[in-house]
Amino acid sequence: MISFILIILASIFFTGIIIRTKSIVTGRKGPGIFQPVKDVIRLWKKGAVYSKTTSFIFQIAPSIYFASVLMAIMVVPFGQYKGIISFEGDFVFFAYVLALGKFFSIISALDTGSSFEGMGASREALYSMFAEPAFFILMGSFALLTGKTSFQEIFASLHFGSSISYILGVLATFVLAMITMVENSRMPIDDPKTHLELTMVHEVMILDNSGFDLGMILYATNLKFAMYGALIANLFMGSFPLYLTIPIFFGIQILFAIAVGLLESFTARFRMNHNAQYIFVLSSVSLLIFFGVLLMLGRFN
Amino acid sequence: MTDSLLLSLALLLPIAGMISIPLLPHPFRAKANFVFVLLIAAATSIPAVKALTGNAVDIVISKTLVFGNISLHIDSLSSWFILIINLTCINGAFYGIGYMKKYDQQRANLSMHWILFLLFQSSMLWVCIIQNGLFFLIAWEIMSISSLLLVIFEHHRHEILKAGMNYMVQMHIGVAFLSVAFIWVYSSEGSFDFSAIGNFFSHNQNVWLFLLFFAGFGIKAGFIPLHSWLPHAHPAAPSHISGVMSGVIVKMGIYGIIRIALMLKSDLILIGESLLILSILTGIYGILNAAVHRDFKKMLAYCTIENIGIIGAGIGLAIIGMGMNNSFLLVIGLSGALLHTLNHSLFKSLLFFSSGSVYQQTHTRDMEKLGGLVHKMPQTAALFLIGSLAIGGLPPFNGFVSEFILYTGFLHGIKIPMLSGLHSTLMILSFAGLAIIGGLSLLTFTKSFGTIFLGSPRRQLHHNPSEVSLVMRLPQFFIVAVMLSIGIFPQLYFSAVLHLITSVVPSVQLPDVSIFQTTITLMAEIGIYSFMFLCLLILVFLIRNILVRNRTVIINTTWGCGYIAPHSKMQYTGKSFSKTLGKLLGFIVTEKKKYTELKAEEIFPQARKHSTHYTDFFEDNIFNKVINRLIHGMGYFRFIQNGRIQMYVLYGVFFIMLIFLGTLFGFI
Repeated sequence: MISFILIILASIFFTGIIIRTKSIVTGRKGPGIFQPVKDVIRLWKKGAVYSKTTSFIFQIAPSIYFASVLMAIMVVPFGQYKGIISFEGDFVFFAYVLALGKFFSIISALDTGSSFEGMGASREALYSMFAEPAFFILMGSFALLTGKTSFQEIFASLHFGSSISYILGVLATFVLAMITMVENSRMPIDDPKTHLELTMVHEVMILDNSGFDLGMILYATNLKFAMYGALIANLFMGSFPLYLTIPIFFGIQILFAIAVGLLESFTARFRMNHNAQYIFVLSSVSLLIFFGVLLMLGRFN
Repeated sequence: MTDSLLLSLALLLPIAGMISIPLLPHPFRAKANFVFVLLIAAATSIPAVKALTGNAVDIVISKTLVFGNISLHIDSLSSWFILIINLTCINGAFYGIGYMKKYDQQRANLSMHWILFLLFQSSMLWVCIIQNGLFFLIAWEIMSISSLLLVIFEHHRHEILKAGMNYMVQMHIGVAFLSVAFIWVYSSEGSFDFSAIGNFFSHNQNVWLFLLFFAGFGIKAGFIPLHSWLPHAHPAAPSHISGVMSGVIVKMGIYGIIRIALMLKSDLILIGESLLILSILTGIYGILNAAVHRDFKKMLAYCTIENIGIIGAGIGLAIIGMGMNNSFLLVIGLSGALLHTLNHSLFKSLLFFSSGSVYQQTHTRDMEKLGGLVHKMPQTAALFLIGSLAIGGLPPFNGFVSEFILYTGFLHGIKIPMLSGLHSTLMILSFAGLAIIGGLSLLTFTKSFGTIFLGSPRRQLHHNPSEVSLVMRLPQFFIVAVMLSIGIFPQLYFSAVLHLITSVVPSVQLPDVSIFQTTITLMAEIGIYSFMFLCLLILVFLIRNILVRNRTVIINTTWGCGYIAPHSKMQYTGKSFSKTLGKLLGFIVTEKKKYTELKAEEIFPQARKHSTHYTDFFEDNIFNKVINRLIHGMGYFRFIQNGRIQMYVLYGVFFIMLIFLGTLFGFI
């Protein structure tokens, strides 16, 4: 329960911090950190325009997308405190619930019959497919390391001791951060600020959404950011008491947001046709983590 | 005694059906077929349910002339498959009533079709019941032949006949492997009974005999590289037949493999790991091909191959578990495989039925010619969508349950302390492989659903499609209900499978069943959470509807990025949707293009055609090459078959002389 509330709280300012960082780096004053949420609230009050090509899929998809993110957040633990849902192998459930939301967001893009939205949908499907094994290998390695199979047990019993474990921690943070970028369609996979439909991935999929539905989709992105930020924060919380973990949680969320902002300010998007290979590299890094774990446990013989 | 009565009834009912269906007036034949299917199902399901709850049925017909003792045996493994066959066949027969309406003119052909359907169902049932090798092969052969004849219902079309031939040849290669395997056991043990196989395994090397059986059953099941009949036969068959074939006939191969695997005694780790690797590769290969094909029934056929891979991974896990005396791995692997068998038979027949409805209304299997059907056939679209979600393993449907079990198995496999690094690596790669399969099936089914049902129509169709009849929709709704029940109450099905496994697996390998109580509670939790998820989806949608009910809604055209004359041909096609993937993995899914190059002297080019299609790696690069060489080699002997009757008479005389002289001089 505690993680659910904290992630909702973090989601309110997360994208705001990214935008603020980017504006400061580029020498602008920039909007306040609550601006993205204010935009969402404004959208929630608006009416909507629907394409006449669309069907019921287009109506239900944003709600399902939003609900799937909410459900996934319920699985995320907070250090030694369980999420609302916790069972053995819950991270599989986490991934598959998110996949359902993705399924609907893809078919809702196809529902408009637009060539651009189909293109974005195709890219999104491909990239998330390539990102999937990285997450699973990472969690499998943690399961091997800790002997546990649920999010909360894994994070609670994750100890950093030997020098290898620090390297593994760094690599795991890197993989999780990159998966976040892929899942949220941010740099260096996708540029949310691009002005050309041809070069978009996620933005082009939601071209036809408006009003309440668009608000939900945008807020789901904020939630997803905070959710993955929480996963990264969990790597470092261990079994500290609550008065330490809550500041750690917010600290890491803010650091992560600033890092994303800096990354987006100083890198360019990768070439579209090399994105898939790049994402697949994450799986190799995850495999590296796995071999590191094997090394730690002395299973190479 | 009642069991033998019911079984003889199960033998007599199809015969009665075959005699009575042609005698009935034409409009009643399909319904009569359904009634007979239902009756046969009842006659076989009663002993099956009994066996599943603990009382195995065992009947021996002793001292027959040719076969020796024929033992009929329904244990819980057989009954699991019997129930799946019956469920799928009942749905198929019901759906067929509506689907075959458009062929009403072909009366003789149609009554033959229904007769064969009965034969097909009962031969599959007998395959599960018979435990005598020779007799088993006869039932197996009847099953192959009857399904072949069902596939070539439209036998006047050349390509369908060709697909049928392909199917027939491949099935007989499979039978050849099986015959060799059974004869080998017979020559060593002196019996065709299945129990002899177990004896054979206990004092011989296991790998080779298992390999023979695997080749025989694997052709039916569709493991790579033995899969190449599937993508030809499924599109050729009428949809209710493809549904039943994909739902259950390939599962007969799985049944055979499980049956043999449970008797293995040694070489378990080697067999298990090879099977696991092959299965994961099968899964990835199958879904990758499914992603690029544009014929939606071919896509579904490849997707069957993928699911066979998932089931095979479960079996592989179980064999590894047997080899390491790890009962948890054994039970999880086998229960994942068995549950996925049930699940796949449900959602695959649902998908074949709903795509059959599309075919019936549009007369095309090419998804690039379709689009926007969701407005014309909303219920069919919803059914196809549910099938797609379930086959992708997404909660709250049933596919998630079996895939979750397999994930649990792999996670456990990674952690087993006695395993060396290599085994753990294999486990984690399979774990990731399953995730890739999941991701690819998401891509495949968003593409298929999106291209067939969404957007606007890409071609003007010959007649306006409309929603299909209730007869065709009803079995699909029934399947959805069963699927949801598995998704929300997985513990019921899991404990049934657990009970099944404890009764068929030798008790040495299952020291303590009570440890699985936690797994049952885990299953119950998953069911609750899936249900919670479903409720949350509905809740969010309802809240959204309440909040937006008074807002202004404007209906306008799709945003064309400033372009004011959009055309339906500008939509993204299915082909372009999966193009990037096909290009990235072009070494597996090779694309062949046909076009004529524009020449320099052509100043005013004429209209020309450009066509591309994807080829099957194994079929194109291995089989066709070998076959072409064979045909080339055989060409040298063509002078023998020259069409002159005089020569043929001469051959006969020649061989008679040869035998005569041979016996005369004592050579023979």
